[in-house]
Amino acid sequence: MTTAAEAILALVDSARGNRPQSLDDREVEEVLNIALALLVELSVSNDRIDRLERIVAAQGGTTVEALRDLRYDGVAADERQQAMEALLARVLRVLIDPRVPTDGRPPRD
Amino acid sequence: MKVRDLQHEVLPQATPDELSRQRAVVSLRKLLNARVRSGNVARFASEGAPAFAARHGRQPQSPGDIRAALFESQRYRMWSAANRSAQEMLWVSVGEPVYRDLDRMEAAARALAESPDRRGSLTLDPAYDPSPEVADIDIHLQPGGYGMDRGPDDVVAGALYETGGNVFSFGQGAGRGDSKTGVAVRLLAEHFPGFVPTRILDLGCSAGAATAAYAATFPEAEVHAVDIGAGMLRYAHARAESLGVAVHFHQMDASALSFPDDSFDLVVSHNLMHEIGAEKRRAMIRESARVVRPGGVVIHQDVAIRFEPTLVHQVERDWDTHFNDERHWHTYASADLIADMRAAGFEADGIVEHNLAAIHGSNRWYAITAQKQA
Repeated sequence: MTTAAEAILALVDSARGNRPQSLDDREVEEVLNIALALLVELSVSNDRIDRLERIVAAQGGTTVEALRDLRYDGVAADERQQAMEALLARVLRVLIDPRVPTDGRPPRD
Repeated sequence: MKVRDLQHEVLPQATPDELSRQRAVVSLRKLLNARVRSGNVARFASEGAPAFAARHGRQPQSPGDIRAALFESQRYRMWSAANRSAQEMLWVSVGEPVYRDLDRMEAAARALAESPDRRGSLTLDPAYDPSPEVADIDIHLQPGGYGMDRGPDDVVAGALYETGGNVFSFGQGAGRGDSKTGVAVRLLAEHFPGFVPTRILDLGCSAGAATAAYAATFPEAEVHAVDIGAGMLRYAHARAESLGVAVHFHQMDASALSFPDDSFDLVVSHNLMHEIGAEKRRAMIRESARVVRPGGVVIHQDVAIRFEPTLVHQVERDWDTHFNDERHWHTYASADLIADMRAAGFEADGIVEHNLAAIHGSNRWYAITAQKQA
C-alpha cells in the first residue's frame, strides 16, 4: 500500500534537471511556490466542503442554497467573529510581533 | 474515437481530492495564460524595453536583449515564476495518483498485455538505449522523462504522459473533444480524398493516444507505432488493448527505423518534431520518406508555434525552452521543414504546410504533408 506522502515523494524524487529562478530572490520564489500550492489545496478543501454541503442538504431534506444561506446572530455570530479574529492573529502574527527584526546571519565578509 | 479524457483500465483511479487538485492546476494555468501571459508582449514595450534602454543605453534588439528586457518587467518575472510553479504542480497533481495506484495499474497492464484476447502487440528492444537527446531530459518537466523504465512492469512514463498531457492541454485551452488524429484525418479527407490507408505508422507515439485513434478510425488497417521508452510503450500497448483496438508497438528510434522501404500507406508523427534536435528530425523525416510507399502520404503534425508575428513574440514563446525543458522548442519553431522534406526526397510542389484549426476548442495545430511520387 503506497501512502499519499510516499506517492508524492516518489514523484518529486524522480525529477531531474535544474529549477531556473525568475525572481530576484530565491527565498521569495520558494515562498511563492508554497503560496500557490496552498491556493491549490484551498481549492481542494472548498470542493470537499461543497460535497459535504450537498450530502448534508440531501440528508436534512433541504437545499444546498438554503444550507449556505444560514445567517448567524447572537451567540453563534460571536463565536464566528472570535474564531475569525483568532485566525487573523495566527496568520498575521509576524506583522504584530513586537520583536525588532534584525539580521541573524553571520557577516559575509 | 475520443483521444483525451478517455476511461480505460490502465488510467490511474484518482480520488475526488486528487481530481480537485488537477482541476485547480488547470484553472491556475488557464488564468496565468489568459490573463497574465497574454500581456507579456505589451509588457515588453511598456516596461521591459524602456528599463533595458535605461540600463544599457540602447534599445533591445537581439533575442538575448529582448529576453533580458522582458525580465526587467516585475509582472513578467512573477508570471515566469508562477508559470514554472504551476507546471511543477501539474506533475505533482497527476503523479500522486499514478504512484499511489501503481500496483493495480501494473497488474492491469500485464493482464492486458498477456490476455489471449489481445489484438495488438508490444516489441521491446532490450539492446536499445533510449536516445539520450530525448531520454536524458525531463521534457516539459515530466519527472523521469519519456525514456524512464523502472522495471519489467513499469508504466509510469506513459501514465504521467497521458494524465499530465490532459491537464496541460486543458490548461492551454484545448477542448476535451480535440484530437490530433481527428485533425490529420480531416486533412486527409480534404487534401487526399478517397485515400484509405491499410498500413499506418505513428512515429514517436508516446502513450499511444493518437495511435489508438487511428486504429479506431481505420479498423481495417494494420497500425504500427514506435517510441523510445519501455515504460511509455507498455502503457500505450495496455491502453490500446483496454480500448479494444489493435496496435503494434515497437521500441525503436524514429530516426533509425527497422521497417523495410515502401512498407506503409500513411506515416504520421504527432508533436514529435519539437522534442528532437535538427539532426534527428532530419533523419526522422528521411526515414518517414523511406518507409512510406509510392503514392503514400506523410503527415508530420506539431504545435502551432511557427507563425509568431514578431521577434518579441518569438522570444516570449521561447520561455518554454528555458523554463519548461522544451530544449528544441525554438529549434522546431525556426526550422525550415520544407527544406527537410525536400532533402528527404519529396517533390517540392507536393509539400504543403498547414495551419489547422483544432477539432474542438480554440487551439491551432501545424502540419507539413507530402505524397511520395508514385
